[in-house]
Amino acid sequence: MFNDILDITLRSLWISGSATIISSLWSILLAYKLSRSSGASRYVIPLFEALIGIPTVLIGLLLYMILSSRGPLGVFRLLYTPYAIILGQAILVTPLITSLCYRVFSNSWNTFGELAYTLGASEKQVMTIVLRESIPGVIAASVMGFSRAIGELGIALMVGGNIRGFTRVLTTAIALEVSKGEFETAVVLGVVLIVLVVAVSFSLRILKRMYRT
Amino acid sequence: MSKAVIVGILIILVITISLAIYSSNPKEIRVRVTTTTSLYATGLLEYLADEFRKEHSNTFFDFIPVGSGEALRRAENGDACMVFVHAPSLEKWYIEKGVINSRKIFAYNYFIIVGPIEDPADIRDSKSVINAFKKIYEAGEEGKAKFVSRGDYSGTHIKELSVWSQADLDPHGRPWYLETGSGMANTLLVANEEKAYALSDVGTYLKLKKEGKLSDLEILYSNDTELINIYSVYIVSLCTGAEKQAAQEFAEFVINGGQELIANYGTEEYGQRLFNPARDNIDWLEEVWEKLSKT
Repeated sequence: MFNDILDITLRSLWISGSATIISSLWSILLAYKLSRSSGASRYVIPLFEALIGIPTVLIGLLLYMILSSRGPLGVFRLLYTPYAIILGQAILVTPLITSLCYRVFSNSWNTFGELAYTLGASEKQVMTIVLRESIPGVIAASVMGFSRAIGELGIALMVGGNIRGFTRVLTTAIALEVSKGEFETAVVLGVVLIVLVVAVSFSLRILKRMYRT
Repeated sequence: MSKAVIVGILIILVITISLAIYSSNPKEIRVRVTTTTSLYATGLLEYLADEFRKEHSNTFFDFIPVGSGEALRRAENGDACMVFVHAPSLEKWYIEKGVINSRKIFAYNYFIIVGPIEDPADIRDSKSVINAFKKIYEAGEEGKAKFVSRGDYSGTHIKELSVWSQADLDPHGRPWYLETGSGMANTLLVANEEKAYALSDVGTYLKLKKEGKLSDLEILYSNDTELINIYSVYIVSLCTGAEKQAAQEFAEFVINGGQELIANYGTEEYGQRLFNPARDNIDWLEEVWEKLSKT
């Protein structure tokens, strides 16, 4: 029982952690580029902001149809593996992390970038300043992405399959325990999930403070 | 900008795929099995798989618990090799489409009508399940009883609907007829709170009863052929190779050596069988299955 919960918790952590890191890589890059081009961002950012609340079960279903043996990417046999969940969650949190980072970068440019320019800094120096000032905000965006990823159910259920010891994560375990009538176990798993998200958030906040000083 | 993004996505895809290939050990056989959540939740399938694996240690079973319809739909897409289900009419539809084959009935049990101990509709001595439902309807109309329905098109809910239609009654929209739209466990808890009647599978009821969560409910009606619940195992047509062979061996095990295990499963814990093995009554079960598959 305890071992099962530990196993499921660690799996949730690495699956959603990987998804957040992978998604952050492209989201931060995309957000930075968008913050430098007012043309594209006018359309992309409102679109992404609208997509933040997209139902996870819809992404799960679409991804299932792509990864299914009959789907276009069926040959890779990714369905029912943790990697399928990682891919889905990475897609899920992209709009969230991108639009949050976009705000952070835009603010940094307005506050520090232009000031640095007027003080005669070079292009490269300006970029360094803007990026450095953006780090706390970018971390905060990633934490929110992680929270959304680890708390989602639809993708993990559809493309992971809730297989014991392989793709069972906290949210799918909660859903299974509820359907079994084991409400107490479900609540314990829920508490673990919340503690985990809060712990990650606080530890990154402490890191952020250390970085500041 | 787009170049960098595309390169990034490609790199990540390559890493993910190579990890997936690396992690799949060629010596072990993984059998993908879709099944209904209610059957999976009893723990029977994992118990049988564990026993089977004592002789076949390099075979692993990936149980994917979903709804009956979804289990068969995933089989149609080739995303399962084996299916364990209990919905004859739905199974028939997929057999005719050629999605699944080699049906083997491996167990059966009965749906039960549970209700408040006082039994306000007086169904305890009903002649048939249809008679019992009629009594509940009448008592409901008189404001003496309530009925809680799953309302989720699960196997149990479909069974309930077919009994109502055989009784020529339509309870939908009546104030005493509550649809929870959720699982069996939740529905039973609602029935307990509301002191209402409900149709349930034996496993979920006994489990919650033993945990003391259903203090006001009792089994009031059972063991009617109309309420039989037949469990079958299938091999998916699209499945091939070592996975198919392992699936066939497991199916053989379930209907032979596994029958004894099925009969004794849960008896110690609940003082009553959760499943009856199919072997001794197979001809009769085939007959009943044919009848059920036409409804």
